[in-house]
Amino acid sequence: MKKWQKWTAAIVVVAAVAGGTKAAGLWGGNPSTDKNTLNYALPADIQTLDISKSTDSYSNMILGNTESNLLRMNSKGEAAPDLAKSYKVSDDGKTYTVELRSGLKWSDGSKLTAKDVVYSWQRMVDPKTGSQYASLASGVLNADDIMAGKKAVSELGVSASGNTITFQLDHAMPQFKYLLSFPNFAPQKQTFVEKQGDKYGTTAAKQVYSGAYKFEDWNGTNGKFKMVKNDNYWDSKDVKTKTINWQVVKNADTALKLYKQGKIDRVSISNTPEMYSANKNKKDAKSAAVAAATYLEYNQDTNAFLKNKKIRQALNLATNRSELATQATGGTRDAAQSLVSKGLTETTSGKDLSDYVKPGYTYDKKKAQQLFKEGLAEVNQGKMKISLETDADSVISKNTVDYIKQAWESTFGSDIEVSEKIVPFKQRLKDSQSGDFDVVVTNWNGDYADGSTFYDLFASKDAGYNDGKFTNQTYFDAVKKADNTDATNASAREQDFKDAEKALMDDANINPLYSWKSTSLVRSNVKGAVENPVGLTLDLTYAHRK
Amino acid sequence: MARYILKRALILIITMWIVVTATFFLMQILPGTPYNNPKLTQSAIDQLNATYGLDKPVLVQYWDYLINLLHGDLGTSFQYQNQSVSTLIGQRLPISAQLGFQALVVGVLLGLWFGAVSARNQNKKLDGFLGVISTLGISTPSFILAIVLLFVFGYQLDWLPISGWGDSFSQTILPTLALAVTPMAITTRFVRSEMIEVLHSDYIQLARAKGIGEDQVIQKHAYRNSMIPILTLIGPLTAGLLTGSTLVENIFSIPGIGQQFVSSIPTKDYPVIMGTTIVYALMLMVMILITDILTAIVDPRVRLQ
Repeated sequence: MKKWQKWTAAIVVVAAVAGGTKAAGLWGGNPSTDKNTLNYALPADIQTLDISKSTDSYSNMILGNTESNLLRMNSKGEAAPDLAKSYKVSDDGKTYTVELRSGLKWSDGSKLTAKDVVYSWQRMVDPKTGSQYASLASGVLNADDIMAGKKAVSELGVSASGNTITFQLDHAMPQFKYLLSFPNFAPQKQTFVEKQGDKYGTTAAKQVYSGAYKFEDWNGTNGKFKMVKNDNYWDSKDVKTKTINWQVVKNADTALKLYKQGKIDRVSISNTPEMYSANKNKKDAKSAAVAAATYLEYNQDTNAFLKNKKIRQALNLATNRSELATQATGGTRDAAQSLVSKGLTETTSGKDLSDYVKPGYTYDKKKAQQLFKEGLAEVNQGKMKISLETDADSVISKNTVDYIKQAWESTFGSDIEVSEKIVPFKQRLKDSQSGDFDVVVTNWNGDYADGSTFYDLFASKDAGYNDGKFTNQTYFDAVKKADNTDATNASAREQDFKDAEKALMDDANINPLYSWKSTSLVRSNVKGAVENPVGLTLDLTYAHRK
Repeated sequence: MARYILKRALILIITMWIVVTATFFLMQILPGTPYNNPKLTQSAIDQLNATYGLDKPVLVQYWDYLINLLHGDLGTSFQYQNQSVSTLIGQRLPISAQLGFQALVVGVLLGLWFGAVSARNQNKKLDGFLGVISTLGISTPSFILAIVLLFVFGYQLDWLPISGWGDSFSQTILPTLALAVTPMAITTRFVRSEMIEVLHSDYIQLARAKGIGEDQVIQKHAYRNSMIPILTLIGPLTAGLLTGSTLVENIFSIPGIGQQFVSSIPTKDYPVIMGTTIVYALMLMVMILITDILTAIVDPRVRLQ
């Protein structure tokens, strides 16, 4: 027995040493009171700091807080001057003239000039860069030809003269000002980018910063890094926070526990319905609009049943959207009232665009049954058997198809048979694009705070995102009018969007399900953070602890 | 001996080539593109494919990959733009290796101790208790235990940190314990049965008959002889740790290679899938080779086979 007593003693010593490291304060106290610092968590690794090549929202969150663009979205949802002193749009909407502030500097102290802006746009559309967001620049003079390798990058319609930058567009683009606030189009310093070569943006030191903070301590793979106030930022006098500590916390439960321990200042609770319902009534819970919508696409190209308008209308009428939002998403999303998501942007009269354009989607079981019968008789192919496809991204997607299958089957009884098809994300994307589906659940994230980011999806039968390949001339005409004749007339565009929504509902070409929002627990003593529905979702430029 | 090692090394190289080839062609079956942006139109995808050389025939891509691999170039990640795969793996592997090694040491040492105690107290209460512990250890997945440990010691008691890596040793304790339980349980059971067999063998009877004290008998004769078969356990245990670490790394937000491997598959990040598979396969085979060589050194009969 002596031997195992010795061993036990050894274990006790090890445990004591472990406990000692904690007692010695290696693990810090409660950081949620330090006025100079803020603490945040990211749910995924940063992938890159290459401004032109970043695609994920977390890398963009780091870039958006450390790099400034000409404009920055303010707390009212307006694109306000950042590096730009002012900007002018010509009467035809095709020329943007931007005046830079004088004396701008990079974090390394070198001058930030109009040429850095031009270089960034050129690098973005250069096919050699291989940027996945290059197509956002489409509409700038010659951008499409440059991307296709038909013209030289120097022919891009972006030019610099002194402190002035001129953007020439093919046609009026009301949404263009939002691109001027995107992290992906922030200025880049050519000499720096070229010096770093292949390694550009792979660590915090291999990037140079123009925003309110510099980025530090990221070696390309580690999960702990920080933002430090950039004294060379033009408005650094109004930046109150000295350090923002970041850590990657992939597990949502772990993040919630860190928040409760006071170690981070914000945690998302809308990942699962369970976490949402357990925390949504806490007084520090806060919801913000997300420019994303979920809708069903009906294959109107190959499916005989779905080609029938009455059947589509019946399916839409048999969808109880508010029940879907409470039951399938647990309240983490809001019931859809239109294709465009809630809280995307406001109309000229200050109304939420979604409220303004909503065509009046309703749930009417009787009418649905009636239309379905008539539709089935018209198609005359017996029982309707369809598959309902979604990707296995989240528990909410699975709940959604479960709910819809049950809703339709209970409404139409033995006349319909719905089979679920749950596949990996990339497979779903492939099936959508190749038209290999009957009904598919589609999530769309808007690119900018303008209705066209949704309405352009189905601009024509062959538009890239019209997976159901529907033809709805009234809708096409309304969208065309908004993008062309009414491009410089905001209130007329709003009416066009309203017409488009109505045409979409009348023909039941798609079935809007829910509008996204993000709900987080937010430390009450942190003020000044801006949450945007699109682009930089969390802007900490002026965030500070009271 | 040298010939034996040479032969084994040759087999290792051939196996690696098969792994590389199989992974490369299996990857082609994965749907979609390696690009993050789901909004890319077909023409944009075609342009990107041309930029990244994915428009070439598969056999050409395979050949290029093999040539680059022989030059030690694992390519550049699609998800982690501009990041070379060797850097990604080079920075993440040591973390996973440290975690795995700590878990292996803790697990095997505890297992040796528990197993020996069990065997010496065969069919007594202590043996029964340790039997329950090891059965639980084998049947509880490490990620479940990780969550329990995190909740109890990290959150309720707040003794130990619950996420991160590299700031302090205390961060490694909970994940190490979570991972150590399976090797601990397997080793316990293995050592127990080996010890019981050895304790009943003739030479132990002889040693006792000579009047050597029981402690001496255990340490000098029983332990050493029951140790040899345990060497063969190290290989499979390493394999278990490599795969088990993935979820534990996720729960404790450890920037290791397991997480990287898993996330590269749904995103179809070809170079990372290839790179991590190669590294995993190589590590496993080297571990098995080392165990085989050690066994051959300890037990000359193995070489004759």
